Amino acid sequence: MKDFSNQFKDLPDYILKITKEIWEDRGLSTLHHYYGKDIPMRFPSGLVRGNAGVIDGTLATLCEFPDRQLLGEDVIWSQDTQDTGRYLSSHRLVTMGTHTGHGAFGPPTGKRFEIRVIADCAAKADVIDDEWLIRDVGGIARQLGWDPVEYARYQIQTEGGPDKCQRPFHPDHDVDGPYMGRGNDNEWGQRLASILTQMMDKDFTVIRREYDRAARTEHWGARGGWSFDFAETDWMRLRSSFPTAAFKIHHVIGREDPGTPYRAAVRWSLTGKHSGHGFFGAPTGAEVHVMGATHAEWGEWGLRREFTILDEVAIWKQIHLHTGNVE
Amino acid sequence: MHGFNPKWRDVPHFINGITYEIWEARQIGSLHSRYAPGLIVRSPASVLTDNTNVIAATMATLAEFPDRELLGEDVIWCEDPEGRTETSEAFLSSHRLICTATHSRPGAYGAPTGKRLAYRILADCAIRDDAVYDEWLVRDQSAIVQQMGFDLVDWTRDLIAREGGPENCVEPMTPAIDVPGPYDRHGNDNPWGQKHADLLSAIMAGHMDRIPAVYDRGAALHYPGHVTTQGRSEADQFWMGLRAAFPDAAFSIDHVIGRDDPLMPPRSAVRWSLHGKHSGWGRFGRPTGAEVYVMGISHAEWGPFGDGTPSLRREWTLIDETAIWKQILLKTGQHA
Repeated sequence: MKDFSNQFKDLPDYILKITKEIWEDRGLSTLHHYYGKDIPMRFPSGLVRGNAGVIDGTLATLCEFPDRQLLGEDVIWSQDTQDTGRYLSSHRLVTMGTHTGHGAFGPPTGKRFEIRVIADCAAKADVIDDEWLIRDVGGIARQLGWDPVEYARYQIQTEGGPDKCQRPFHPDHDVDGPYMGRGNDNEWGQRLASILTQMMDKDFTVIRREYDRAARTEHWGARGGWSFDFAETDWMRLRSSFPTAAFKIHHVIGREDPGTPYRAAVRWSLTGKHSGHGFFGAPTGAEVHVMGATHAEWGEWGLRREFTILDEVAIWKQIHLHTGNVE
Repeated sequence: MHGFNPKWRDVPHFINGITYEIWEARQIGSLHSRYAPGLIVRSPASVLTDNTNVIAATMATLAEFPDRELLGEDVIWCEDPEGRTETSEAFLSSHRLICTATHSRPGAYGAPTGKRLAYRILADCAIRDDAVYDEWLVRDQSAIVQQMGFDLVDWTRDLIAREGGPENCVEPMTPAIDVPGPYDRHGNDNPWGQKHADLLSAIMAGHMDRIPAVYDRGAALHYPGHVTTQGRSEADQFWMGLRAAFPDAAFSIDHVIGRDDPLMPPRSAVRWSLHGKHSGWGRFGRPTGAEVYVMGISHAEWGPFGDGTPSLRREWTLIDETAIWKQILLKTGQHA
């Protein structure tokens, strides 16, 4: 890897090692080295700039969940076609921890959570300088005893009320970071992008055509299911909540690695009105931006595993801020 | 697939295809030809040597769980040149299924609980001449019982009573009642199968440090009781809890398959057993000294990740905990 420390064998090795070093090995201060000084980090909950904020955020999370572990399930990555020393890593991890400290989720409950995260990080010369990170905050909230609807209200209140609270991410707030790539053009990436596009075009027959009958689907809210029914119902409910929202594909990676099934990572969004029934209660007309990331693996019988993360709490927050029903 | 109906493309197609046809497509009568005469079906709960009843048993299950679906997650198979006949090629298939069903009618599990079930089955089938001719099957029985809302030990105690008490109840499988079948081979010699067998042998020999050495840090794990979990410490706790309960039992690797297939990660299927005294504290509570036979099947997916060294990235292991409790209760007289 050009310009990277030779302690890293390849991009997945780099991503897995620095994640462990930062979190489990408590190397918060290594973020001065590994994270760009002005990095734009796009969370569904809002845009954050600079590594100082990342360090403080990491510290706060570790105080709340000191035993937090981050287990990397996969790193689906691409190399920039223009600047070959620049990479994009889509890192899927399972993270768990026990709620023993005070923090964003309120006083400690002693409860344990286990959720998935997908983090898209652009890296060059040992440094991550552009990022899109989606945590299953709805999954954490539920496992700590919150209803995500109520937890979004709690966030608004504890962040200073509807006028002062952090604004969930919307493309209008976005800034250009150093990474402008769109992924690679491997056919498996295109295939996943096409499946998602067909679903968002309301052609849900694509699931029975493309998925293995025994497919496992893992979705937001730390929920999952087998076969066609779960995937169909979940995707329909999501689309039905925002039936007229614009669907956009932002980044597409496909990979064929030896000893590994063919797989893909797609980052996408829905932007538009909350104008239908589905996942988010009665339609409110709120303008909502949904940041989503999907990973998939294929086998001999079609798509065998699908993982999709979005942040329900950030969506509820946008709905509450629109309706004013924040108490 | 010489000797098989030409509609089947390969072993996974045959196995998934006949499973679907028998259960979901209701071709239950086809079991007459799909189960070879004299087929022996071994599961931890029993050794069935008389298969004339198989159609009735299938119907009883479907009467109790009408919407039962069998979703084939994987078929890890090998050639069986020694089993070949003049009329057919032969294979051994290790089939991993997710079974979903609603407990909506009365039956062997009692009055319907209305519970929605999801559990796995691992089934090793020897096949030739378009039929299954030898079988070993482990169903995640503790998942079924617990998802219905029963306590594992209480349910097993009731089972003994329902089957007519300790004298008359169905005897769990042990080497004493096992009947050798026509398939006596041990799999293939692909290195992934060997790697998996070596790992299990090392764990059983107390080399628990092989777990962090071989499992990926984020390995996805699927264990009895329909437990899905992640990471090395969880693998450590499952295998430690099992071995600790039977510390002196003889461990045996009974069948090993490894495969490298296009579109798939390298994978393996190992059938193994533990036979000996329940003499330690572990997964099965206070040691009772009961002699127990544990039949287990494990599947794994491997791959290079992180530093590039191939590691175990996904594991599925099943044992039937009700069959273990049944042996403990029967031998200690705690069934009453």
